[in-house]
Amino acid sequence: MIFLTVGTQFPFDRLIKTVDDFVGSNGLDEEICAQIGDSTYQPQNFKAVASLDKNLFDKYLRESSCIISHAGMGTITMALENGKPLLVMPRRKIYGEVVNDHQVAIAKKYEQLGHVLVAYETVDLPDKIKQLKSFVPHKREAQPKAVAKRIKGFIDKIADV
Amino acid sequence: MLNRIKICLTASAGGHSSQLLKLADSWVGRETFFVTTTEVVRERLSVFGKVYVVGECNREHPLRVIRVLVRCIKVVFGERPDVIISTGAAAGCMVCFLGKLLGAKVIWIDSITNVEKMSLSGRMVRHIADLFLVQWPELVERYKNVEYVGAVI
Repeated sequence: MIFLTVGTQFPFDRLIKTVDDFVGSNGLDEEICAQIGDSTYQPQNFKAVASLDKNLFDKYLRESSCIISHAGMGTITMALENGKPLLVMPRRKIYGEVVNDHQVAIAKKYEQLGHVLVAYETVDLPDKIKQLKSFVPHKREAQPKAVAKRIKGFIDKIADV
Repeated sequence: MLNRIKICLTASAGGHSSQLLKLADSWVGRETFFVTTTEVVRERLSVFGKVYVVGECNREHPLRVIRVLVRCIKVVFGERPDVIISTGAAAGCMVCFLGKLLGAKVIWIDSITNVEKMSLSGRMVRHIADLFLVQWPELVERYKNVEYVGAVI
């Protein structure tokens, strides 16, 4: 199963429609389950719900073979933590999908680091979907402990004054 | 025994607060309260003390900004924190400025999504922050008085 998710806050019809068109014309050997948020476009070729509760979201995430989503940090992080191949399409300001283009910047960076596949425009999507199955994401190594230690040291100093 | 200082944790719901929660080791054992933007996360954050929900806003909706600002003023002047830790965005930025007015120390961790340049909130808070951390080493070259220790997520 491929899990398609665009978050629950803002519509992202461009991504849902492109995936729908792809499945309509090429077919797919796997089913797609989609969380489409406020998107108004209703896909013809797979089932979609507006929002999933946390438990169901986690279940879809776990059971999926791969994920297609917007370049939202929440989804990217969850996919990486679960070792799932992820294809993102960044939301764009010019299409009114978001207030700035930070999703493009993070997608570019994570693509360079081998964490995700990226379709910057709808025309890129079909090829990237074909690559997704065999894509092995590079595991992300973050340093939350080191950052927390730096902050703790700073706070301890303030508290000891 | 730790000295009694009160820490205000503040982050918008979603990616911003999940980044802040990764840093929970830094305030363990201290008195904290949380300022966030939507009710959905209230329960999850309640382990960090009292949770205040001030609403979502961005610069495209000036009226909402004012409403959120008024709520932030009430919270910050009521609680009078000694330290503020924030990962953004707009509401976190307001809390930092208000806290600074009352003499609080400000710690800002710029979001992982700010790769090439810092967020508007981050660029503003940089001028008043006592500790300013970024999550990409490239940003240290671009901005003064910012520090890179590592990425949070």
